[in-house]
Amino acid sequence: MKDPVPDTLTLDEATKESQYVHQVYDQIASHFSDTRFKPWPVITSYLDRQPRGSLGVDVGCGNGKYLRSADIFMLGTDLSPPLVDICGQRGHDALVSDALQLPFRSGAFDFAISIAVIHHMASDERRKRAIEELVRVVRDQGTVLVFVWALEQETKGRRRFDGSTQDVLVPWVVPGSRQDEHAPDQVFHRYYHLFRDGELAQLAGQVPGCTVVESGYDRDNWYVVIQRQNA
Amino acid sequence: MRLITHNMLTCHVKNCEDPDKQFPLRFKDAKLEQIEAERNDEFLVRMLPRLDWAALLITANELNIALPEKVPAQPENDDAFLQALHTAILETHVQEGSMVCNGCGHEYKITKGIPNMLLAEHEI
Repeated sequence: MKDPVPDTLTLDEATKESQYVHQVYDQIASHFSDTRFKPWPVITSYLDRQPRGSLGVDVGCGNGKYLRSADIFMLGTDLSPPLVDICGQRGHDALVSDALQLPFRSGAFDFAISIAVIHHMASDERRKRAIEELVRVVRDQGTVLVFVWALEQETKGRRRFDGSTQDVLVPWVVPGSRQDEHAPDQVFHRYYHLFRDGELAQLAGQVPGCTVVESGYDRDNWYVVIQRQNA
Repeated sequence: MRLITHNMLTCHVKNCEDPDKQFPLRFKDAKLEQIEAERNDEFLVRMLPRLDWAALLITANELNIALPEKVPAQPENDDAFLQALHTAILETHVQEGSMVCNGCGHEYKITKGIPNMLLAEHEI
């Protein structure tokens, strides 16, 4: 397993995201989807708490791992067409969309989740804008759950981060054996901004019209629950 | 895409801001498919406040789908209403076609039930 490297790319944000996030996910979609099956308990518990008849959106839904249509109804959005296709094949409502420009009317949803998404955005302004959009699309008193990778990795695990830099490129290895027994492994690099303790809550705190009502650390991730509060 | 999802979608092209025109998006060449789903009345009744009923009526009329003009005072006791609602929002899928903004004219394509809501750079 190859280690992450500090990001020293001199690309502008949109290009960096295009080359080191969007295009990578499009290429690894099928392998990525096969490895996304175990739902995380904090997220499952948040979804289980939503009252029956709640309407929610998963921004950056990937292969639709968290989408539900019994008791509550969730639709998904993702920038990656092959991943959204997988959601469609599984019977979910999903659409191709940019998290920075959500195509929903304001206050449409009871809740929103965004899991392992905004750490792929290459500037504070973009990460903050993503949170603003999430808050915009939920109704007054609605909540948003955001999960991002932490700089502080608890488990010795398969990833090791040097604490000195928050912007990194993390390898994703597609085993050659997925194609045939002699094919070499393919390595792709994804851009991440790793969040420090308190950073996510502080970022959410800068977004007007909402409050952080819960925050925590789970399995190498920081998370917050944000509540929209109209004046 | 089910009609419940369409009821949440709006045009978001830069400077397209007339709420009467940018929502709901108008279907063009829509290919529909009815897919049966289990009905849950409590779910339907609690979901009602999230729906923009006026917009849903416009869309239902466009697609020739039967839907009552008004939400009854006690929807939980109105079986016919709940059945019509269930069929309209959860069982009616738009699989192909496009959605057009009545304000700026932008067309969002739908393929295999999946809408593409991405905009070109100059539209953001």
